[in-house]
Amino acid sequence: MTHQDIETRAAPLLSARGVSKTFGSTKALVDANLDLRPGEITGLLGANGAGKSTLSRIISGHIAPSGGTLTLGGAPFAISSTRDAFHHGIALVAQETSLAPDMSVLENIFLPDLARPGRLSFARLRDRALEILSSLGHEHALPLNAEVRSLSAAQRQLVEIAKALALDARLVIFDEPTASLSPTEVDSLFDIMARLRDDGRALAFVSHRLEEVFAITDRVTILREGTTVAQDLPTADLNQGDIIRHMVGKDIGAIYDARRAGHALSDAPVFEVRNLKAEPWVRDISFSVRGGEILGLGGLVGAGRSEAAEAIFGLRARQGGEIFVNGAPVNPRRPAEAIRLGLGLVAEDRRAQNIVPDLSVRENLMLAQMGLHRGFGRGFGAVKARMDRLIEQLGLPANRLDTSLLNYSGGMQQKIIIARWLLVDPRILILDEPTKGVDIGTRSSIYKLLQEVADAGVAVIVISSDFEELLGVCERIVVVSDGFTIADLPKSLLSEEKLTLLAAPRTSTERNTAVLRDLSHSFGGQAFWTLIDGDELICLACVTHTGGPETGLAAGQAIRAEDTAIPAALATRSDAFTADGAVTTLLTQLRDKRGHDLGWIGLSVPGNAPPCVKDVTARVAHLSRPEKET
Amino acid sequence: MATRDTTSPGLVSRVLNSLEFRMLGLALLLAVALSLLSPYFLTQRNLFNIMDQSVVIGIVAVGMTFVILTGGIDLSVGAVFGLTGIALALLLRDFPIAVAIPLAVAMGGVVGLFSGVLIAVFGLAPFVVTLGVMAIGRSLSFILSGQRSLSGLPADLQNIVYSSFLGIPANVLFLIALYALAWAYLTYTKGGRTIYAVGSNVEAARAAGLSTTFYSILPYVVSGALSAVAVTFSLAQIMSADPLAGNQLELDAIAAVVIGGASLYGGRGTIIGTLMGVLIMVMIRNGLNLMGVSPFWQGSAIGSIIILALLAERLINWRSTRR
Repeated sequence: MTHQDIETRAAPLLSARGVSKTFGSTKALVDANLDLRPGEITGLLGANGAGKSTLSRIISGHIAPSGGTLTLGGAPFAISSTRDAFHHGIALVAQETSLAPDMSVLENIFLPDLARPGRLSFARLRDRALEILSSLGHEHALPLNAEVRSLSAAQRQLVEIAKALALDARLVIFDEPTASLSPTEVDSLFDIMARLRDDGRALAFVSHRLEEVFAITDRVTILREGTTVAQDLPTADLNQGDIIRHMVGKDIGAIYDARRAGHALSDAPVFEVRNLKAEPWVRDISFSVRGGEILGLGGLVGAGRSEAAEAIFGLRARQGGEIFVNGAPVNPRRPAEAIRLGLGLVAEDRRAQNIVPDLSVRENLMLAQMGLHRGFGRGFGAVKARMDRLIEQLGLPANRLDTSLLNYSGGMQQKIIIARWLLVDPRILILDEPTKGVDIGTRSSIYKLLQEVADAGVAVIVISSDFEELLGVCERIVVVSDGFTIADLPKSLLSEEKLTLLAAPRTSTERNTAVLRDLSHSFGGQAFWTLIDGDELICLACVTHTGGPETGLAAGQAIRAEDTAIPAALATRSDAFTADGAVTTLLTQLRDKRGHDLGWIGLSVPGNAPPCVKDVTARVAHLSRPEKET
Repeated sequence: MATRDTTSPGLVSRVLNSLEFRMLGLALLLAVALSLLSPYFLTQRNLFNIMDQSVVIGIVAVGMTFVILTGGIDLSVGAVFGLTGIALALLLRDFPIAVAIPLAVAMGGVVGLFSGVLIAVFGLAPFVVTLGVMAIGRSLSFILSGQRSLSGLPADLQNIVYSSFLGIPANVLFLIALYALAWAYLTYTKGGRTIYAVGSNVEAARAAGLSTTFYSILPYVVSGALSAVAVTFSLAQIMSADPLAGNQLELDAIAAVVIGGASLYGGRGTIIGTLMGVLIMVMIRNGLNLMGVSPFWQGSAIGSIIILALLAERLINWRSTRR
């Protein structure tokens, strides 16, 4: 231990080796390995469905593993309940908090204590709660007598953390803790996490927000499809691209047939949505789709895509925005109205939103038709011929139409739900996660079906968090993040890595856009925020002052450096204004406090009299988080 | 995820496995047992009695089936029965029979509409809403009647019970027609299937464009109106209206529907099952009477049967989900 080079890291507090977990026939975890060491924050990363949450729930005793070993402090340990986990000093601060909303803050902090026999001294608990909160630096942030129901998301999280500390947890797992926090709340959470780490606790940070991973973690472990593909990589040695390559890391298979060439798109959009707003999930979403086109709506779970689809379909109240069908403004307030306008929606949750379990397969198939039918009867006769044709086309077993839909496989169920909509001849068909829980064979037949539907002139919108699927099926992809449309790009310009980058929620988006607005307004030019990867640029935000120069960058668009109006500036990226013809440009790199690349802020102004560099950099400087550590 | 796609069962085995068939078996078994226990049970006179006693509860149970299929419950049927009975007796003083009966039935429907709107539009719990309506209804029937039975009804009213066709009394004929109609409606119409869909998965039904609100309200209207129809037959037999009439009728109706295999969570159950449930209930009561069992014990018998029926449903569900 005397040599500096020798590994001075503590031995792992918790080690998971070869952990697997199967739900029914689904493998959530295959071979997961994880080490959590005292005094370290380990980032646990992976795409949607990679098994991050499953692994954290296994470690915290919520679910039992199917295989593999767990050791705690070097000794093998098995936990069968959350109470065991508490007993071992393991706590999970989950996304959906596990608090009792009708009880007070104090009662919630000591909830596990309530299960102990004997009498409780509330006065003593109160003293301990204050002690814990002040150790977090938040002694005044929480009224101990308030009902948890009345607290904000950030306050609830603080209660969760205090609850973990009340148990003197040695190991705390934070599962997507920042999902519902504002940027300042995130900063304060990170301060707390740093304190806990410096106390010598082992922390795990589960997230897919890469910026935050760089801001707070010491090491990262990456899961892909239930298997650990990279373990304990020092965060300081990584960049976003490295992490994404680990998270994605495979090629698109042959399940996607290239779409037949020569399919015709309608000239005008069949369907258009402008500035859709449905709080709290959908803040500003716009897109349009032409007849015959397959449009992807990509983003992470919780980005607001499903909610946008539901708002369009009248399943959710809209606070703003316009919807156009064939150019005419429409305002569907109930699904029945949306269906009459020619819309169809295969909702995300098959069991909860699509299947009527007590009706037969035939009736489930006919459900939308029955809603559309204006007569007294079921209206089955009118579509009999079409139904027979569909049954044959989809390979549905015609002799089993009177049994329960629940006896069918996920793939067959999904085909039947899609067929439900095809029966009513929609002009716009929205499919939310159409291949969730569908086996690979049926997946490719669903993709083929979607192409046939689009070939018939229907505007198809596919919502998916599986970027591989979007790239395989769609011609154009609109990326949604944190309730905003971020980008609208043709498939040819996109890769899975760029999509992941675009879809990653950026807590800083609003703050950065405000600075861009300020820059363009003050200096009368165009201000932009872009990621630069070689000579490829992906512009994340862009604000142009009236009469400002055109650089060729547009928010949400990818472009090559040589195709912009400012190739020289992009090539040099010096800390002075660089001229490109009549435009001069200054680029400033954004870094978090650990020096990681968050992209570049650029300002292009017309003419050869650029403003003072310092004036510009001063306004950008406070975007990089202020140093709090020494 | 991937469940085994089993082969299609034949028609015969489907019928044999159906709930209604099992209920029919139970009803026949019960009839055989009762006929062994009491020599009077199988007499023609007693069988007519059983059918006659089935009419009131049978009519109310149809409305209750509609409500329970949507996943709701209607505790107010007994009170609506009493209230519309008093109202009908009062109406018959001023209006001819052909006007008074439709008015009373409409009144029952309006009470159901009130409950239905509170439940489907304002999202209140069916149990609580209909409990409130039950209290109000009973209170109003005491106020309207002046706390006493109303007699002196027109003699012609008896015709709706004591006329007969092919030897079958009119009220029994009406019951048979009502069940046939309700069965056809629930099986073959958009409205009927929507009622099932509402109870089975209201979110999916709404997303498919079905009018879920309308068909959540309709069953309460049907239930209220049918309570009024039931009291009409009751008045015609007794020829007097009692403000306390139909007390605990809701329990009998719910019991019949549940014994008939309907799920209180909605979406599952049939009108034929309800008919079986009604017959089983009435036969048990009739049999216990014939054997001279104290009426105070009959409550225990009926209660046990309800619990056994629910237990059986749960066990069958467990078996089918475990597979």
